[in-house]
Amino acid sequence: MRSLSLLSRKWGSISTARLNSTLTEAQATPDPHKAALAHPDYFSVHNLFTVKDLFDARVHYGHRDGSLDERMLPYVYGSRLGHIIFDLDKTAEYLRRALNVAAHVAYRDGIILFFLRGAQNSHLVEKTAQECGEFAHTRFWRGGIFTNATKQFGAVTRLPDLCIFFNSQNNVLLQHTAVKDAAKMGIATVGVVDSNCNPNLLTYPVPGNDDSPAAVELYCRLFKAAILRGKERRKADFNE
Amino acid sequence: MAQSRLEKIGTIYTRVTGLIKSGALKWEDRPLWYDIYEAFPPKEEPKFDRPAPNLPLKNIFYEEDKIRAVFHKNNKNVGTTNFLDSKHKTITQRFIQIYKTVEAQYDGTASDSQIYQEAIDLLKRDQESRKAEDEISLSSAFKEAQAQESRDKVKINVSDIFKE
Repeated sequence: MRSLSLLSRKWGSISTARLNSTLTEAQATPDPHKAALAHPDYFSVHNLFTVKDLFDARVHYGHRDGSLDERMLPYVYGSRLGHIIFDLDKTAEYLRRALNVAAHVAYRDGIILFFLRGAQNSHLVEKTAQECGEFAHTRFWRGGIFTNATKQFGAVTRLPDLCIFFNSQNNVLLQHTAVKDAAKMGIATVGVVDSNCNPNLLTYPVPGNDDSPAAVELYCRLFKAAILRGKERRKADFNE
Repeated sequence: MAQSRLEKIGTIYTRVTGLIKSGALKWEDRPLWYDIYEAFPPKEEPKFDRPAPNLPLKNIFYEEDKIRAVFHKNNKNVGTTNFLDSKHKTITQRFIQIYKTVEAQYDGTASDSQIYQEAIDLLKRDQESRKAEDEISLSSAFKEAQAQESRDKVKINVSDIFKE
C-alpha cells in the first residue's frame, strides 16, 4: 500500500513535468499566423456591413412570442405586438466576431462547411460556397457523416474546421444534428440563431433572422467576402 | 489521435485543452481554430447547459401608438402599404405628423376628439390635393409608353446571334 501511494505521488510529478514541456514546446516553435491574430481586425471584416444594412435586410425580425426560446432573451430587444425584434447592436457585434473567425480560418487554409436546410435559399448557399471555394451541405444529413466518417466515405476523411449554419434548424424545426455532431467532434461552429433556436452549442452564435431571403442573401454575401479576404491575405502573406 | 465526443461537458475549447494538458493530443495536432479561439473567444462560453437568463421580455410601444390606435379604429380601409418603398410616407405616418402639428397648435386647450377631427379633415384635404397632382389621362399614359418603347428598343441582327 505504501509503495502504491509513493507511485501515485511520483506519477503526479511526471504529469506536471509533461505539462511544462508541452507549454515550452509551444513557445519554442514560432507560429507564422501569430501576426494576424495579434491584430483585432486583420481582414477589415468589421467594415463589411453597417447596422442599417442589417435593418434593410430584415435581420431584426424574429418569430412570435409563443415560439421564443428563453435562451435567446439576452439578444432580443423586445416584442412589438407579439413579434420578437432582435437588438441589432448586439447582432452586429456577434456577426463581426463570426466574420473575423471565418476569415482567420480561411487564412489558415481551413475547410469551411455551410449548412442551410430550407428549399427556398438552399441554392443560394450552395452557389456561395462554390464562389468562395468552400463547401456546403444543404440536403438531408445522414447520422454518421461526422461521427462515422471513415465508414461512410470509405476512406480517411478530413473533417471541416469550421461549420457555418445559416439556419441552425432542420426542416422539422429541431436543431440540426450537425450542431451537436460538430460539438462532439471538436469542430468550431458559427450559426445564425433565430428566436426559436438554441444558441448554447454554437461556438459563435449570430442572433438574427434566418428565414427571409433578404437576410440569408446578406449573410451569404458577408461570409463570402470575409472568406475571400482571408484567402487573399494568405496568398499575399505566404506566397510572395 | 485522441478525441473527446462529450458535447454536454464543458466546451470544445476546454475539452481540447484538457487533451493537450494530459498529453493525449500533441500541441502540433491541435485543431485549426484553437489559436483563433484563444485570440478571439466568444462572448459567452458555448456550454451545453448554459442556463436561460432570468430576463423579462419588453413590450415595444411608442407614444404615437395612441394616435395609430384611434386612426385605425375609426378608419378600417386605409389602402395598401408598399413595404419596399422607404422613400414615401405611409398614410398612417402622414396622419401622425398632421395630428402632432394640430396638437402642438392647440397646446393642451382642445380635447383629443377635437384634435382628431381636425387632423382627419386636414388629411382628407391633403389626399384630395395629391389626387389632383397625379391626374392620369389615357392619352398622356399612351404617349409616355410610346416614348419609353422607342428609348428601350433592342436592335437584334439575326446573322449576329450565332457569331462568337
